Amino acid sequence: MSPVVLIRGVAGCWSPVGSRRSPQLPNSPLPNLVSSFVDTFVDFSVTGIFLPNPPSPPFSKTSYPSHDRLIAVGDLHGDLLKSKQALRLAGLIDSQDRWSGGSSTLVQVGDVLDRGGQELKILYFLEKLKRQAVKVGGNVITMNGNHEIMNIDRNFFCVHPSGLDEFQNWAGWFSTGNNMKQLCDGLQKPKDLYDGIPSTFPGIKQQYMNGFRARIAALRPQGPIATRFLSKNLTVLVVGESVFVHGGILPEHVDYGLERINEDVRDWITGSRETVSSDLVRTRNSLLWLRKFSNETAEDCDCSLLEHALSTIPGARRMIMGHTIQRGGINGACNNRAIRIDVGMSQGCINGLPEVLEISEDSGLRILTSNPSDHQNRHDLLIPEQHGPREVEVQA
Amino acid sequence: MGQDQSKAVDSPADPKTEESSSPSAHNSPPSMESLLAEATAFGNEDANASLEAKAQKALECPCIQNLRSGPCGSQFSAAFLCFLKSTAEEKGSDCVQPFVALQSCIQTNPNAFPKEVLENDEAETQEKPSEDYKIIPPRWAVEPTTSPKTKL
Repeated sequence: MSPVVLIRGVAGCWSPVGSRRSPQLPNSPLPNLVSSFVDTFVDFSVTGIFLPNPPSPPFSKTSYPSHDRLIAVGDLHGDLLKSKQALRLAGLIDSQDRWSGGSSTLVQVGDVLDRGGQELKILYFLEKLKRQAVKVGGNVITMNGNHEIMNIDRNFFCVHPSGLDEFQNWAGWFSTGNNMKQLCDGLQKPKDLYDGIPSTFPGIKQQYMNGFRARIAALRPQGPIATRFLSKNLTVLVVGESVFVHGGILPEHVDYGLERINEDVRDWITGSRETVSSDLVRTRNSLLWLRKFSNETAEDCDCSLLEHALSTIPGARRMIMGHTIQRGGINGACNNRAIRIDVGMSQGCINGLPEVLEISEDSGLRILTSNPSDHQNRHDLLIPEQHGPREVEVQA
Repeated sequence: MGQDQSKAVDSPADPKTEESSSPSAHNSPPSMESLLAEATAFGNEDANASLEAKAQKALECPCIQNLRSGPCGSQFSAAFLCFLKSTAEEKGSDCVQPFVALQSCIQTNPNAFPKEVLENDEAETQEKPSEDYKIIPPRWAVEPTTSPKTKL
């Protein structure tokens, strides 16, 4: 039962004089407000999250000076609950899930995607924290893991069924949002979400077809989720003496140029570049797949290669990596020049105890570990010392 | 139920001020009737009247009349109105109720906001994606008659 609407004329509509159907100026406020409303409504419907007002913070830089306090978190793989536990453990979020880290820096070293069903919720959550942190001098830097690139490449080998559900739900709301925008004169007609995507794939169970189509639409280069979130990821990062990368860096990667690497990957995701070199992000010795410095048996790590790589990055004294699950928790190899922070915390991995690495001016390197009594089944992985911070163990 | 004509503002609204936050005493999303009542009651507060009037005016704009019609038109109007008036740091976060109402309506009426089929769209859908367009599926999604190791 809508109210009687009188078309009063143009003064109240902030649009130029003309007939009802005349085109409005592109910067006329109302269509932009409609667009903004639709985006907010879709975001809320998909994740329950309202993002702090735009703009999204600017692209992260490749290198930063060393910071008062930095927290590094490993692979999250679609487990929102464990992700929040890790962040809360580090004092970065409060009980209301708001940024409480002040001017701290958070670095997440990739692999948000795959193996779990809350991938989008994590992406949105990290974006929310990014916007909140920036307002109080903090910083949240997200990075690409191999699983981000796999998904952009339509390699869905490690997708969890609940992951398909989340994306299918997203696609439904996003499409509705597009339809709503289409119905508003003055807004550019959104492109069809599924443009160019086949309606079916041979050999796939019919019930999953829509889920895969949704995932492709979202994550392919120029896809809405790829553009909004993944294009903001760094692939390599230097903060002070610490180098961050998902898998590992070799001298040839440094030769190529760290900033160039970040630009190449970003440009590929946003569609400015057709391709990105597989040596950077897909091959066994690429930045995102390397395990040479992550062997759980520390003696098997190629420490001289690590030293060589570090020596080519000015000021670098250690490399901090995710990607390879460390069943004993965060640890260091090669005289703590390689710090391995993937603890497999996702339920889709080994449901590992949440741990984070803290790097601070006051206390140097510390591992912050969660209260063992919360994980009744994990006695075999308890660190015998104390709860709370412990010095990084040298295993090499 | 008609719009309150006497609230007309003669001068064109300034786009810059329309986004500025003004103090809002309302926490719960108002109904249309209460909006009118409040607009009248707070007629003395210029800032509120301005926000109210602008919000009401926004609803009259031709560009959203399509959105305001159909089975979810009133839910859209309520949600959009609330959003317009929201001064929260996360704009719209104080509009959960009308947002949820709109969600429910859309779920009940999947065609509430139908896609406009334009001539251009039809031309685009004629183009078939290249046969090289493949995905690598997870094992659990593969039809049993096909070898799971086949890259499709």
